[in-house]
Amino acid sequence: MPAVQETIDQVRLIDVDQYKYGFETVIESDTAPKGLTEDTIRMISAKKNEPDWMLEWRLDAFKRWLTMEEPTWARVDYPKIDFQDIHYYSAPKSSAGPKSIDDVDPELLRVYEKLGIPLREQEILAGVEKSKIAVDAVFDSVSVVTTFKKELAQAGVIFMSISEAMREHPELVQKYLGTVVPITDNYYATLNAAVFTDGSFVYVPKGVRCPMELSTYFRINEKNTGQFERTLIIAEEGAYVSYLEGCTAPQRDENQLHAAVVELIAMDDAEIKYSTVQNWYPGDKNGKGGIYNFVTKRGDCRGDRSKISWTQVETGSAITWKYPSCILRGDDSRGEFYSIAVSNGYQQIDSGTKMIHLGKNTSSRIISKGISAGHSSNTYRGQVSAHRKAVNARNFTQCDSLLIGNQCGAHTVPYIEAKNSTAQFEHEATTSKISEDQLFYCLARGIPEEEAIALIVNGFVREVIQELPMEFAVEAQKLIGISLEGSVG
Amino acid sequence: MDMQTKPPRTAAEQAIQDSFAEMIGQLPGDAAVMVARDKLLSAIDDAGLPTRRIESWHYTDLRSLLRGVPSKPSGRAGRVDPLVWGSVVLPVVQGRSTDLTAPEGMRLTPFSKVLQSGEAARLLTERGSDDLIGQLNGAFVGDGYSFTVAADASMDKIIEIQSVQSGGQVHSRFQAAFEAGAKATVIERYLGDAAETGLSTSISTLELADGAEVTWIILQGRGGNDQHLAQLSARLGENSTLKVYVINAGGKLTRQELHVDVAGEGSHFDLRCVNLLAGDSHTDVTLTLGHSVPNTTSREIVRNVVLGRARGVFQGQIKVAQLAQKTDAQMSCNTLLLSDDGEFSAKPELEIFADDVICGHGATVIDIDHSHLFYLMARGITEKSARGLLVNGFVDELIDEIDNEVLVEALETLVEQWLADHG
Repeated sequence: MPAVQETIDQVRLIDVDQYKYGFETVIESDTAPKGLTEDTIRMISAKKNEPDWMLEWRLDAFKRWLTMEEPTWARVDYPKIDFQDIHYYSAPKSSAGPKSIDDVDPELLRVYEKLGIPLREQEILAGVEKSKIAVDAVFDSVSVVTTFKKELAQAGVIFMSISEAMREHPELVQKYLGTVVPITDNYYATLNAAVFTDGSFVYVPKGVRCPMELSTYFRINEKNTGQFERTLIIAEEGAYVSYLEGCTAPQRDENQLHAAVVELIAMDDAEIKYSTVQNWYPGDKNGKGGIYNFVTKRGDCRGDRSKISWTQVETGSAITWKYPSCILRGDDSRGEFYSIAVSNGYQQIDSGTKMIHLGKNTSSRIISKGISAGHSSNTYRGQVSAHRKAVNARNFTQCDSLLIGNQCGAHTVPYIEAKNSTAQFEHEATTSKISEDQLFYCLARGIPEEEAIALIVNGFVREVIQELPMEFAVEAQKLIGISLEGSVG
Repeated sequence: MDMQTKPPRTAAEQAIQDSFAEMIGQLPGDAAVMVARDKLLSAIDDAGLPTRRIESWHYTDLRSLLRGVPSKPSGRAGRVDPLVWGSVVLPVVQGRSTDLTAPEGMRLTPFSKVLQSGEAARLLTERGSDDLIGQLNGAFVGDGYSFTVAADASMDKIIEIQSVQSGGQVHSRFQAAFEAGAKATVIERYLGDAAETGLSTSISTLELADGAEVTWIILQGRGGNDQHLAQLSARLGENSTLKVYVINAGGKLTRQELHVDVAGEGSHFDLRCVNLLAGDSHTDVTLTLGHSVPNTTSREIVRNVVLGRARGVFQGQIKVAQLAQKTDAQMSCNTLLLSDDGEFSAKPELEIFADDVICGHGATVIDIDHSHLFYLMARGITEKSARGLLVNGFVDELIDEIDNEVLVEALETLVEQWLADHG
C-alpha cells in the first residue's frame, strides 16, 4: 500500500539525527598524543617548520591562557571541558604538501565529493567561467589542498594555508597576525593562539578585485581532536574579496571542540565579504555528541570608506558561541552582519555581533533571524556602541525570532551604547510563531506540513539569504530545510 | 589553590559596615529581624558592591559609583504640599513615618511597627545574590508604611507617599496590598535637599489581588548630590491592571529597579518612564518583567532626555515562561541624546520559552530632528523654545495617558520646570 510506504518515509524523515555529513573517513593520520603542555605546542610548531618568533608567540599565548578562566556569561550549558583529553594535532598522513590535486589521498577526495565540494579544477572549469571558486580544504586542522593558486597569483592574490604563508610570506603574517584579535582577547582565542594548526591566509594587494570567490571547507574527522584553525584576510587599499567558509564533521558520541579565530583587515576603500555556512555535527536527537563551536571572528575596518560584511547561516553544532564583529575605525567605514541561526534538537546557540563605531560617519546594519525548534535554545546577543568621537554613527538592527514548538527558547539581548549626540541607533526585535494563516494556506494547497514550514521559514530568512553568494544560497536553503526536519509534531 | 583573594573594601563598603555598627542600636525589629539584618549585611560584605561583571549591574558599577555613605540625617526637612491638592499624604520625614488614622477603605501601619510585630523577618530577604538594594534596605530599613486597600474599595483621593530627606541615610519600605476589585492611585514622591548629600534606599512591594486596578507613580526629585537606590516589585492577580509611571528628575546616582510578575490570567501591566537627565548624574532604570501565565499583556515605553554630562541606562528584560501562551508584550526605549558629553546605554532583552506569543522591543537613540526644528524656527520661534517644545512633546506624550487631568497638569508642570532649569 502506497500510503504505508509514505508513512514510513515520513517517519524516517522526521528522525532528527539524520545528518547528511555524518560519515567518517578512514585515513591514516598523524596525531599528537592527547593533552596540552608546552611540549605539545613545541611539537605543533616543529611539525609545521615554523619560524622562532611564531613559537615564542604561541608559548606566550599558552602562558597567558593558563591564567585565564573559561567565560560563563553566554546562555549555554555544557559539562566542563577537559582540555587535557583532546588531541591538539591531527594531520592526514599522506598530505605532507601535495604538489597537485593528484597527490591527494583519493579517499580524501571522495570525502569532498560526498560533501559536494568541487575540489577538482576540471570540474569547476567545466562549469561557467565566472562562477569559479578557489578552494582551500582544511581537514582536521591541516590545510590539504588549495586550488587555483596559479591563477590567483597572476592577479597578485595570495591564497594559501596560513602555515605555508608563515614560510613564504613571514613579513605579512608577522605584521598582521593578532592585530585584530589580540592574543589575550578571550579564553578560546588565547587557546587558539597557542595551538592553532592551520587555516587560510588571503592577501589581496592594492586595487585588486579578487577574480573569483575564495572558499575554505573545514572538516573535523579524527576522534577526540580539537580543531583550531586561524584565518587571516587582508584587503589592501581599494581591494575586494569575497570569502566563503563551510564546515562539517562526522557523527560521534563525544563532543568535539572547535575554537577558531578569524581576523579580517580592510584598508582604505577595501571591501571584504565573509560568508559562512556552518553545519558541524549538531549531536543526535537526545543531545548526545556534537561540536562545541566557540569561535572568535572580528573584522577591522582600518581604512577610510572600507567595508566588512559578515553573512552566516548557522545550522550545525551542539553549541555555537560566536560574535562576528566589526571595528569601524576608518571614517565612513561600514559594517554589516546578516545571520540566520537555526536550532533544533538540543542545540544551543548564543550568537550575534558587535559593531564598534570609532570613526566619523560610520554606519552598520544588523539583520538577525533566529529560528528555534525542538528543545533548543537560541540567543541573539549583540552590541552596538558609538564612541565619543564617532560623529554621525548610524546603526540599524533588526532581530526576529521564530519559535516552532513550545519546548524551545528564543532570546534577544542587545547592548546599545551611545556616547555621542549625533549617533542614530535603531533597534527592533520581534518574536513570534509561524503564522497559522500562512500554514493553513500552504496545507490547503496540498503542501505537506514540513515542507510548508520550510517554505515559510525560507521566506522569513529571505533577507539574509539574498546576501549569500549564489552557490551558497542554494545550499543554505536546503540546509535550513534539513535542520528543521522533525520539528513538527 | 582555589582560594581567591578578596579585594579590600572600598571606602563605601567600609562605611556601610561602620554605619551598621553605629545604627544597629536604633534599628527597630525583634530578634528574628536582627538575625535577618545581619545575614543581609554579611551578604554585602561577601560579594562586595556590584561591578560591571555582574550582568544586572553591567552599566552601573556601584563599586566605583557609590561615593561615601553619610551617617545620619543631618539637615532639616519637613513635609511639603502634596502634588495634587486633597491627596492623602503618608509622610516619611528624614526616614520617620507618622502613625496616622487611615482613610476609609484602607488599613495603615507604619513599617517600624511591622518590624516589631514578630512576622517581619520573612520580609527581609534578597531576590538573589545580585540584589544589592534588597540587601542594603533589608539590613538598614527603619520605617515606611504598610497599607491595604480593602476589597472593592475605590479610593477617590490620591495617596501620596512623601519621602523628604535632607542629607544622611534613609532606608524605607512600602508594603501595599490591593484586595480584590480595589482601585487606587498612589504617588511615591522623593524630595531632597540640593545643599546636602544623602543616601536612600527604598523598596515598594505591591500585591494586586484579582481585578484590582492600580496606578502607581514614582517621582524621583532628590537633590543633585543624592544617591537613591530604589526597587519596586509587583505581583498581578487575575484580570488586574497595574500602570506604573516613573519620572526621574533628580539625584546624582539613581537606580530604580522594577520587578513585575504578571502572574494572573487576563492581567495587564503598563510602564511609562521618563528620565530627565542632566549635570553629571548617573541614572539607571532596570526592569525585569515576567509573564508566567497564559493570556497576559504588557506595554512599556521609556523616554529619555540626556543633557550635560549625564549618563543614562535602561535595562529591560521580558521573560515569557513556557506556560504563558498568548502573551502580548511590547517594549520600547527612545532616547534624545542632546549632548556630546552625555551617554545612554540600553539593553532591552527578550527571553521567551512559549511559542504562541507576540513579543517585541524597539530601541532608538537620536538627536532632535532638524527638520522639525527648522519648521518651528521658520515660524519665528527661537531655537531654545523650539527645542523645548520638541523635548516637551517627546515626554508629555507619555504623561498625557494618565486619566486624572489635575495630575497630568501637575506632572507636566514638573517636566516644564525641569526643562526650564536645565534646558
